[in-house]
Amino acid sequence: MAGAAARGTGCVTLRGAQIRDLLDAKHNVLFDCDGVIWNGETAVTGAPEVVSLLKQRGKRVFFVTNNCTRPRENYVQKFSRLGFTDVAEEEIFSSAYCSAAYLRDVARLQGKVYVIGCGGVMKELRDAGVPVAEEEDAEPGASIYNCPLDPDVKAVLVGYDENFTFMKLAKACCYLRSPECLFLATDPDPWHPLRGGRVTPGSGSLTAALETASSRKATVIGKPSRFMFECISSQFGLDPARSLMIGDRLETDVLFGSNCGLTTVLTLTGVSTLEEALAYRDGQEPQQKDCVPDYVMESVADFLQALEE
Amino acid sequence: MAGGGCVTLRGAQIRDLLDSKHDVLFDCDGVIWNGETAVTGAPEVVSLLKQRGKRVFFVTNNCTRPRENYVQKFSRLGFADVAEEEIFSSAYCSAAYLRDVARLQGKVYVIGCGGVMRELRDAGVPVAEEEDAEPGASIYTCPLDPDVKAVLVGYDENFTFMKLAKACCYLRSPECLFLATDPDPWHPLTGGRVTPGSGSLTAALETASSRKATVIGKPSRFMFECISSQFGLDPARSLMIGDRLETDVLFGSNCGLTTVLTLTGVSTLQEALAYRDSQEPQQKHCAPDYVMESVADFLQALEE
Repeated sequence: MAGAAARGTGCVTLRGAQIRDLLDAKHNVLFDCDGVIWNGETAVTGAPEVVSLLKQRGKRVFFVTNNCTRPRENYVQKFSRLGFTDVAEEEIFSSAYCSAAYLRDVARLQGKVYVIGCGGVMKELRDAGVPVAEEEDAEPGASIYNCPLDPDVKAVLVGYDENFTFMKLAKACCYLRSPECLFLATDPDPWHPLRGGRVTPGSGSLTAALETASSRKATVIGKPSRFMFECISSQFGLDPARSLMIGDRLETDVLFGSNCGLTTVLTLTGVSTLEEALAYRDGQEPQQKDCVPDYVMESVADFLQALEE
Repeated sequence: MAGGGCVTLRGAQIRDLLDSKHDVLFDCDGVIWNGETAVTGAPEVVSLLKQRGKRVFFVTNNCTRPRENYVQKFSRLGFADVAEEEIFSSAYCSAAYLRDVARLQGKVYVIGCGGVMRELRDAGVPVAEEEDAEPGASIYTCPLDPDVKAVLVGYDENFTFMKLAKACCYLRSPECLFLATDPDPWHPLTGGRVTPGSGSLTAALETASSRKATVIGKPSRFMFECISSQFGLDPARSLMIGDRLETDVLFGSNCGLTTVLTLTGVSTLQEALAYRDSQEPQQKHCAPDYVMESVADFLQALEE
């Protein structure tokens, strides 16, 4: 277990030569996206330059996001649109992509998956060759008593779905009554901030509804679960000791880094605050220590000083 | 209350138990009826209890109907003379809570169905209007009513992501109350299927809002306090009969009532014994004092 949990320290503010030394020690840099390299449709100032310079220095850069709403090819377009040059599809690991990989390679699903989710998840499943149960349009008078259930469904996958309805919840519940039916969730994120101060429910809230209604626990693919790291590593061979995780959400990104033995950096351009990080560090609960980042920086732009020398 | 011993009620024990109680509280689903079918003997048991001078109340977490619909259902299923005042649903009690305990100044945003809406209207609690979704409406732009001072979540077959998101936005204000009609996670349907319960919708909203709901229905004490404020119940002389250990029996335990589990509904004898034999103190509260196959078992004692 790397980092702060073992040493009882953590939340060290990274400055000057420390940044250079840290980068020298690492070969792989894993970035969360929302709140780290962009916010909505706006790149974090300096982030595109940081990514380019890291690659010029010979580092491998990966993007590890719980956001399951887009397929990877859409992410490639977003990177380009926001000024990040030459980010390849293979460098992008979303919870949608990894959920499909899990069903195909780990679960080796024989049958269909019933999906609560949006276009990004559907596309990744199709690209991975995982059959998806068709969602029939609701007939008038259809109810949970009589709506048809597909006997080929052997897994339920739940993720962010702006078209979530009671009927989808009820159908998923019925499928999950069979103990052989797998229960997967793309990610555990409970909510996400929106510009303008509002908040949107996350995949985690829909998963909570389904866990309660089915009396079952979901297998979570996204951070902080280790699976996304194992997915990247199976393709690229990552040494945890030479890998750095940079994120903005303590309970997701930092805990993920902790779980995988990575050095962790919290940036303050997203969800979590320095106060929250210190509270985890100074708290009494042992589990909370894994949410303590090794380092804290205001923004990924802080890497520029070390990279531009 | 340390939790009960799951004693099987027989013969003279039943008579002795009834003699010692003045008030009998029945859960409905799985106890006196299942769907549209009365449990055999249940209408007679209710009548005979009243003839013996007992007061009978119906305490249900089911929030889908207003009380007057329940009166019709009782009549339809053969229960004679069940009055509206004897029926306490989580919908009715949620409205009573907002009006009398919270003394709500403002509107309540409701995730729920007709039963809850009706009870709120009857109680004079203003409900935020749900505008029909405009094309292109999203959580970024949809209007939020500044008069909303409470969110109430219950069973809603028309539950959508947008309703969840709006409720979440209202709950960002710490002064906004957060109530749930009941915690029931799921309900069995005839034919072997299952429907999600209010508890699952509440779980979604608790997760998305990082807040905990105040639960009105069983096992919370509030429904007992609601009945008692109107009728003056002595817990020591009250009996709670239900079919769901984590709801009905725990409710009885929380309120200091003697509890009976009937086996015509959700929970099994095996589950009751597991709670009884558990090492965890909280789990023991889910163990009933007595177990009977069905409320019809009361007939032998009542017909003498």
